[in-house]
Amino acid sequence: MKQGNKLKAVRKPGNRPAVRAALYLFVILMCVVILYPYFVMFTYGARNTADIMSGNVFPEKWIWANYAYVLFSNRSVVRYLLNSVFISFGATAIAIICGIPAAYALARMRFRGRKIFMAIVILSQMFSPVVLLVGIQRVLLTFGLNNSDLGLILIDAAFNQAFAIWLLQGTFRSISPEMEQAATIDGCSTIQSVTRVLLPMAAPGIVTTLIFVFINAWNEYTIAFVMISDDRLKPITVGINLFNGYNMIEWNYLFAASVFATVPVVILFICIEKNLVSGLTSGGVKS
Amino acid sequence: MSMRPPPEARSVFRDAPVSYPAHGICRCALLLCFFCSPPGCSCFSGDGPMQKKKKSAKSWRKALTPYVWLLPSFTLMTVMVLLPILTVFYRSFQKFSKAGKIKGFIGADNFSQVLHSAKFSLVLRNTLVWTVLVVLISTILGIIIGMVLNSEFKGRKIARAIVVFPWATSLIIQASVWKFIINTDHGALNALLMKLGLTKSAVNFTSSPEAWFAWEIWVGIFVTVPFVAFCVLSGLQSIDSGYYEAAAIDGGGFWQQTFYITLPLIRPSLTVSTVLNIIYVFNSFPIIWAMTKGDPASRTDTLVTYLYKLAFINGENGQAAAVSVISFLILCVVSAAYLAISSGGGDES
Repeated sequence: MKQGNKLKAVRKPGNRPAVRAALYLFVILMCVVILYPYFVMFTYGARNTADIMSGNVFPEKWIWANYAYVLFSNRSVVRYLLNSVFISFGATAIAIICGIPAAYALARMRFRGRKIFMAIVILSQMFSPVVLLVGIQRVLLTFGLNNSDLGLILIDAAFNQAFAIWLLQGTFRSISPEMEQAATIDGCSTIQSVTRVLLPMAAPGIVTTLIFVFINAWNEYTIAFVMISDDRLKPITVGINLFNGYNMIEWNYLFAASVFATVPVVILFICIEKNLVSGLTSGGVKS
Repeated sequence: MSMRPPPEARSVFRDAPVSYPAHGICRCALLLCFFCSPPGCSCFSGDGPMQKKKKSAKSWRKALTPYVWLLPSFTLMTVMVLLPILTVFYRSFQKFSKAGKIKGFIGADNFSQVLHSAKFSLVLRNTLVWTVLVVLISTILGIIIGMVLNSEFKGRKIARAIVVFPWATSLIIQASVWKFIINTDHGALNALLMKLGLTKSAVNFTSSPEAWFAWEIWVGIFVTVPFVAFCVLSGLQSIDSGYYEAAAIDGGGFWQQTFYITLPLIRPSLTVSTVLNIIYVFNSFPIIWAMTKGDPASRTDTLVTYLYKLAFINGENGQAAAVSVISFLILCVVSAAYLAISSGGGDES
């Protein structure tokens, strides 16, 4: 579609058959290796225990009931999936609501202290939540947010600020400020010029950022693992341990549930893949 | 021959240098303008003193505007990131009771206990091996895959979508699947290899802690490559094809084009991806936790899993905070050194 004009420097790998063959071989090998764990997840999720031990590459008999079991039995993971949806939506909303004004200020205004702000942004990337676990726990306890989904949402949002600001800033910079200036001359306030002119034009970049933050929050494990002890609040990445017992791991159910935790985000990611490529270039947090 | 990167490949902040006209009308106004954004700032237009007073209230508002815009983001990060950082630093100098209560300042005792424990040097070495190998190999593979994905072939869109998969998957799930794949007794890889006739009996892929660690590094690479590949891809797509046409006319072959055009021009993208990867990989917890939990006897521990055990299993609050601070200092030094080296080399023009 619009790839034609976007990808300026697509390189033709020469016409020598050997080069082309090597290229295709590499691509196929790469795809097979990447897809292998997903193949394992999917096929072993549809087996019974004996079949898992049997050493067959494909299931002897496909037991689709496993997939129904993890959703509808008394050991359902639906609640965990819904928790993940709620936490990820919350984190995404907060990250974007805080990120858009910040990215706008960084892209359009010049002011003292921008370096300090950028330093804080980079600092927030430097410390992964894991390294800060002890500190985060103290802070959440102070605010009474320990073992709550709101605490998890705020932390996910905070640690995604850097990427959100990076991507949004890149999007805003790629849009010429003339339209907003024109709107201001016509009597719009700054906020109106942003919400009515800039944001609609930046919609693709904003959607990319939304999905990106959503995926990060969905896949977050460590903070949830440490902070959430209430089983009713666990997101899917932690809740999946239901099938990961002390004595035995129920691989088939673990994998069936993993499929449900993986497929939605992979599809979302494929949707934004192309936008992400341009987003990564035009961003550039480094100052 | 030296290829200068196109302007857009350089730092985005270098456009329009900020220069404040030294009119010296009014120190106050100058100071004010220092805080506010120059474009459209009218305090140097030579108005009378009365008008200036009126405008300076306006300028104050204008000067504050950027900070108001930054406030939500700043608040969020201050409370959820900066405050925990300060807490960790504070706690690293405190003595704790067995129940986790703060008992007062003990100077650098926590640090000396950590640094003198037998496990720490082992864990530190593991962390360095883990970070260096994962980042280095991912970067090399990422460059190759990024370049391949940028060339023309059938099914390119599908290949690009597939490369995204590991990036989009939860690390804990990815690591669990690999733990199963390499299982000796009923793992999927042994089943596959035996079916293909490549081995007669089940191979023990994880015969030693080192073997486990190697597999953890492999999973680390597996999930890190897509990010590098896409950063490279985004860098490649901003290269003007004119460079390659010019090089082709001058008789430059594939390798010359790669080393003199492609690599220098994707360097800004690579710098960003490498710094971020150093931080992410260094801090990565789920892969090692899911596969070995750092066992046996810390042989596969990295600083973050070690830290987790200190804080939440052994209850060594002070030492855990000290390890946090040490990790942070290491990351600061490494990232700063990397940025200095890579930008120092890039600015010679």
